Amino acid sequence: MLALQRKLGVNRLAWAFLLPNLILFGLFAFLPVILNVFYAMTGGDNVLLADRPDVGARNFVTLLDCENYLDVNSCREDKFWRAVWNTVRFVILQVGFMVGFALLTAIILNRDIRARGFFRSVFFFPVLLSPVVVALIWKWILQREGVLNAFLDWTGAGGINWLVDAQWAFGWSVFISVWAHMGFYTLILLAGLQAIPRDVYEAALMDRANAWRTFRRITLPLLAPTMLVVLILALIKGVQTFDEVYAFTGGGPGTATTFIIQYIYEEGFAGAPRLFGLAAAASLLVAGVLVVLTLIQLRISRNNVDG
Amino acid sequence: MARVELKQVKKSYGSVEVIKGIDLDIQHGEFCVFVGPSGCGKSTLLRMISGLEPISDGDVAIDNEVVNDIAAADRGLAMVFQSYALYPHMSVRQNLSFGLENIGTSKAEIAEKIGQVSKMLQIDMLLDRKPKDLSGGQRQRVAIGRAVVREPRVFLFDEPLSNLDAELRVDMRGEITALHRRLGNTMIYVTHDQVEAMTMADKIAVLRLGELEQFGRPLDLYNRPRNIFVAGFIGSPKMNFIKGTVAEGGASITFDTGETMALPQSGFDYQPGQKVTLGIRPNHVSLVEGGSVSMSVKSVEQLGGESYIYGALKDGTLLTVHLSGQISAEIGEVLTIEGDADEVHLFDTESGLSLRHD
Repeated sequence: MLALQRKLGVNRLAWAFLLPNLILFGLFAFLPVILNVFYAMTGGDNVLLADRPDVGARNFVTLLDCENYLDVNSCREDKFWRAVWNTVRFVILQVGFMVGFALLTAIILNRDIRARGFFRSVFFFPVLLSPVVVALIWKWILQREGVLNAFLDWTGAGGINWLVDAQWAFGWSVFISVWAHMGFYTLILLAGLQAIPRDVYEAALMDRANAWRTFRRITLPLLAPTMLVVLILALIKGVQTFDEVYAFTGGGPGTATTFIIQYIYEEGFAGAPRLFGLAAAASLLVAGVLVVLTLIQLRISRNNVDG
Repeated sequence: MARVELKQVKKSYGSVEVIKGIDLDIQHGEFCVFVGPSGCGKSTLLRMISGLEPISDGDVAIDNEVVNDIAAADRGLAMVFQSYALYPHMSVRQNLSFGLENIGTSKAEIAEKIGQVSKMLQIDMLLDRKPKDLSGGQRQRVAIGRAVVREPRVFLFDEPLSNLDAELRVDMRGEITALHRRLGNTMIYVTHDQVEAMTMADKIAVLRLGELEQFGRPLDLYNRPRNIFVAGFIGSPKMNFIKGTVAEGGASITFDTGETMALPQSGFDYQPGQKVTLGIRPNHVSLVEGGSVSMSVKSVEQLGGESYIYGALKDGTLLTVHLSGQISAEIGEVLTIEGDADEVHLFDTESGLSLRHD
């Protein structure tokens, strides 16, 4: 090794070690990003770049052409805007519920309760499941002849066609997503809670702070940096939601549960003609949003390290 | 001010008893120091008084009221933690005001109290800083200020100076004793440093393995230790111990090295033939030509105004001699020493108890 280092020099040797990873990373990450930009600037349904006509920013114009962004029917590509607004609604609800429930669960699991280890495992278990498995489990529970309706029929309440009603399908998509991912965020918040020194709580106790004031004035502020990281991670993950909802509802009924990633998938790969250009433009717009969210998270993480 | 009484207080974790029935009576306004080696239970005992640690048996009484079932928050105590336990996200002002806000004190009164206390502790220029922007000494003052501002009945200090450097520790020691003189409150202070205990305390409770070894005034503990442990723990450098047997007639002790030394004829109860341990402090040993005991020099420390000679007797027993002035000796040199017979302590070797009877 020393002989090789002498021959190549330290810098070249470092590059030699990095090269295999750089080639793989370049091939499967950088190259697709660059290709994506080219696809976004070209039209037609031909997959070969050489055979695709240059359309400039037309795909972006098509996506963003709206008389009123709040009225999707006024948009040229209304499916895109339906998916955008579904995603926005989904992310707001899913992230809100998820962070709220994850915090509540973490606080309970941080207490000296009986069988704490067992409950920690129970809440984390869904995170280990494949998204398709999650979708299938809940599909079996919620379909017309599913477990939940069987139970409701048995109680006399009568079943509901959960996956056919747009509101219910959307609501259950949020619920399932929260159920499947909450354990991960609970774990992060639990670690954050456990990082708060015990003697700070003891000092608050000696300072006669009641449980609510201790939570509001001690726990929440000291957990805030962890909460922000959880919030940003959940937001990014929320925007990327696709597989489990696609396997659960297929985006329906209608477009009630079609989110932005599903739109990109269907435009580019599932539909005919395959509008690679439109899908690539949409994915670049989503990437822009995710980059902004990631930068915010990095900034917060850096502030935490510095602080 | 308040009187704190412990009556047969015990603490067990499962089958392990860590505090084994302690009786203690700390009077109004006393500065009491719990001292002992690591793991002796001194911090646990303090936390049991505070209410942060429930007691397994016995009673803790404050001003004659048993407080076993009263929550920590309602005992009227304030505690200064080893780690300071300042609220890291709050400014110094908020740290000081938090306890007062919790009991509904008016904003004007809070401001007035913070003004007084911060001036007294010289932290008035730090009120808008966060704990991370303070030095160790400043944090310690804020932690003390947080306790003082609440005007508690009793102050509890859990090794508050252990995170400070030596110089700052000496300064803070003086400040805490001055604070005690000014406020006059009962204070209970935990430390493993016997110098802190000796310099600050009105009364010292020496603990070992969850038991109270001795409770009394610092000089009483120094001059009349109840057993070998207290004799060895109180005083720096620690007392020398030499094992031997009381000679026939009881006039002298024959050390295990075969050397002899005259014993005091009054003040102690011992029998000829009894196995005893003679204790003598390093400053009561002198180098005397033709002295009764010989010592081989291991090392010498010259501090300018005083000298320490560390050596070993013939049987390997280690011995320290503390002399004033600049005394030099060669490593390996054999010196003869003599102990001041009026200053010796005698302990029964088997039980470790002092043989002093007055």
